[in-house]
Amino acid sequence: MGRRPPPGVLVSDVPHPTDAISDHAIEARAVTRVYKARPAPVTALAGIDLEVAPGEFFGLLGPNGAGKTTLIKIFTTLLLPTTGTARVFGFDVAIQTKQIRRIMNMVAGGEQSGYGVLTVREQLWMFSQFYGLGTREGWSRVDELIEAVGLGEQRLQRISSLSTGERQKMNLARGLLNDPWILFLDEPTLGLDVSAARVVRHLVSEWRAAVPGRTVLLTTHYMAEADELCERIAIVDHGRILAIGSPAELKRMVQRESIFRLELDRLDGGPAALAGLPGVVHASPAGGGDAGAAVDRQTVAVNLVLTDDAALGGVVGALGSLGAHIVALAKSEPSLEDVFVELVGRGFDDAPAEAAR
Amino acid sequence: MAGAEVRGPVATAVGRGDGFDRGRAERGGAAATWRAFATSARLGWQMEANWTDPLLFFIYSVAKPLASALILVLMVQIVSGGGTGAASARAFVVIGSALWSFVLAGVQGIAWSVLDDRERYRMLKYLYVSPSDFLVVLVGRGVARVGVGGMGALITLAAGVIFLGVPFDAAHADWGLGLLIMVGGLAAVVALGILMAAVCLQTRQESWSYPEAVAGALFLLVGAVFPLSVLPLPVQGVSLLLPLTWWMAGFRQAVFPATTSSIGGDGSLFQALTGTATPGTATIVLALLATTALVTLVTAVLFRFSERRAKDRGLIDRTTGS
Amino acid sequence: MTSPNLYVHRRTSGPRAAAAWDRRQVLMNNLRTVLGRAFPRLIGLTREPSWLLFEVGLPFLTTSAFVLVYRALQAPPEYIGFVVVGGAMTAFWLNVIWMMAAQLYWEKDQGNLELYFTAPMDMMAVLFGMAVGGMLASCLRAAVVLIVGSVVYGVHFSVDQWLPLLAVFFLTLVALYGLGMMLASLFVLWGREAFHMTQLLQEPMYFVSGLNFPVGQLGFLGALAIALLPLAVGLDAMRQLAFAGGTVVFATPSPGIEMAILVVMAVVFLVLARFCLRTMERLARHEGRLTARWR
Repeated sequence: MGRRPPPGVLVSDVPHPTDAISDHAIEARAVTRVYKARPAPVTALAGIDLEVAPGEFFGLLGPNGAGKTTLIKIFTTLLLPTTGTARVFGFDVAIQTKQIRRIMNMVAGGEQSGYGVLTVREQLWMFSQFYGLGTREGWSRVDELIEAVGLGEQRLQRISSLSTGERQKMNLARGLLNDPWILFLDEPTLGLDVSAARVVRHLVSEWRAAVPGRTVLLTTHYMAEADELCERIAIVDHGRILAIGSPAELKRMVQRESIFRLELDRLDGGPAALAGLPGVVHASPAGGGDAGAAVDRQTVAVNLVLTDDAALGGVVGALGSLGAHIVALAKSEPSLEDVFVELVGRGFDDAPAEAAR
Repeated sequence: MAGAEVRGPVATAVGRGDGFDRGRAERGGAAATWRAFATSARLGWQMEANWTDPLLFFIYSVAKPLASALILVLMVQIVSGGGTGAASARAFVVIGSALWSFVLAGVQGIAWSVLDDRERYRMLKYLYVSPSDFLVVLVGRGVARVGVGGMGALITLAAGVIFLGVPFDAAHADWGLGLLIMVGGLAAVVALGILMAAVCLQTRQESWSYPEAVAGALFLLVGAVFPLSVLPLPVQGVSLLLPLTWWMAGFRQAVFPATTSSIGGDGSLFQALTGTATPGTATIVLALLATTALVTLVTAVLFRFSERRAKDRGLIDRTTGS
Repeated sequence: MTSPNLYVHRRTSGPRAAAAWDRRQVLMNNLRTVLGRAFPRLIGLTREPSWLLFEVGLPFLTTSAFVLVYRALQAPPEYIGFVVVGGAMTAFWLNVIWMMAAQLYWEKDQGNLELYFTAPMDMMAVLFGMAVGGMLASCLRAAVVLIVGSVVYGVHFSVDQWLPLLAVFFLTLVALYGLGMMLASLFVLWGREAFHMTQLLQEPMYFVSGLNFPVGQLGFLGALAIALLPLAVGLDAMRQLAFAGGTVVFATPSPGIEMAILVVMAVVFLVLARFCLRTMERLARHEGRLTARWR
């Protein structure tokens, strides 16, 4: 668990004597977390090893109860690991909490925090003071962010009367107040409608793209969100990381070939005419039916499995010499849930209910 | 020729045998009301009685009521020493302080139940849309709370009799009158608690302190720890309109007849109005029943008004962050 | 939709430099936190004016009840004054236990606590901000009780030494708030159980602190209270100074000694508060109690 300070003292303002400049924004080594519970202890994290580079948009994807929130709480210094070490920009989460809190911020989905009697503007200003901004600087920063997140009309509205989407925009504005070096997002679009969720994702993307080096760690169980936003994803289940990689890399784990659906105006000889071409693993009619016969159909649809995308060029060339013209071409990719099923043997929705912490 | 058809989806559905049971949507009558009351009373008891948790039982049923009584006992002791006058004053304050446990549990407790359900458990809207009458549910919770308060009252009275010299003669107590007085008084306590709950349904921030503040004001007016004759005459008039005043006086008269009356005495409005030093049994009972009925009627009207207003303004399912 | 420049507020070139605050930055952050946390309390006073009735007006009636008990007993007039002073100080004690000590429990319940713990300021600054925010209402409540009590009940104060009286009042507040901060650390760890413990800090505390009577009347228990409870020793010293030359025998140390006790209490409680807050935070992080249980 790292070096322990004397009881009752947090060594937070003194640089750690063994500090090395870390290359990683986040680093976790053999992190476990066990909760005391009745009738038996609950292991929320069973040995996590993780590295996130500075400037990376990293996702933790997994079903409810996988341990994502527990892990993010360790990184945000709300929770201590039972064993193992975790660092944020080289600062130990166990004993250098103050340093971490100065450079990070956190936004969680479904946050209902705040004081109902305050307006949006006042609530954000209050937090700006907690984050170290000056008094006047806080007001001007708050006004900028309110406009940026699209809450201009609600700025003088009491937060108790905000809708869920408006509240989450306000929470996101709070998360950006101190321009954190690392932003932790714990299911930030939870409970939001499609439109509000898109706005939140767009804001986060824009914020990150504005300055190189901004790091984001996102936890989510929405695969499309992870696929859209994250450069790398760790798939988590039962407190373990099952796989790490970019969305494309993860999908290639379950589908090593490239699959295309071709629609042609004609195909003499049917899909079999393509089966022998270099790089073609398999060619079959799309949707079943007679092999390639253009019977009462304007187009012929073929499912084509290739060793890789490069083989498509050869197929297109061959189609030309067969006198066929391509009407439509679509690539078929597995989803991240397919990846999860491949790894675990069940879907997200099939995951057994666990005590969430 | 077919007779006139009964139109409407319900009749049609029943006629077609679609399975919709209209009877379920009709009120269940007295049995359903009793069931709602009994369920909420049992729920209230399980939540508040603390009888399975020694620490909580000690805090709410022993330490707090006893400390309140001891403060007053010590005040008496300091000023009056150990004479017979002191013994009478001591008994007066101990009994009043013990009975006050009921008032705190009932008046504060019911209002806090509504606030707890709205702010903490976020259950108020679910209770409200259940088939049970919300008022009946509150009465059930109130009765449970009053029962919990009774534990503190009993312990304080017992400590008063055993350790603090409160004179008690079981053979000379009028138990029948005592029971009648308690029923009337506790009904008034529950009614006042529901009145406070109606107020808290409307308020937003800082609602938690309102029931306590109102209970504090009542403490001044009902002759709990000092006789009404100490108050200015106009204020005594207000006191005589409160059922809790008659309840306190009646309980003392019935169970502890040796103690001083809180209502009568030299300088009291009662004596000025009636010419008698202390009220008789019949007067106390009639006044208690009349004032309790009045308070109950006012509560019922105001509670329904508050309910309607809360529905109109969307307050039932709104948490205020209080 | 937005300009990327809106987001850029970097003062340093890297995160490690950004994390290295000097003492001035730390101090200013904590001072601004005090102001920031007091802000909602102060705003609330202007937006929910009903507190004037329920927090100031009606509690005066409770104090009046104890005054009338003494009147019914035909007690010497100084005792009325004791109740009035005790009633005034109740306002600060309730502010300490409910608006400071127990407040962290409510903050956890509403999801604010984890936002506080992930921000860089010191929790003592947050707690002090809560105290400052509640101070206005407490001062008003105390003033109403003192002034109206004096006018309505004819309390005559005979103050020989104003400076010591003000010093005792100030030291009592410092010690009380230090105690409150210590108690707040328990709430971080205990949760709902600590709410019940706060209940124990009302009537039982009033009794052992002599809220309505000279604490010296409690004998050994009173002596213990004076040694350990800022409310007891502060009240007693203020009564001795506010009703100097009266006939009541306090049977307690002189105001000078009690002032020294308050100084020691203030220092000890503040130091202990800092220690307890840090220890409890570490324990709470170890056991996962900084966030609401069902999240």
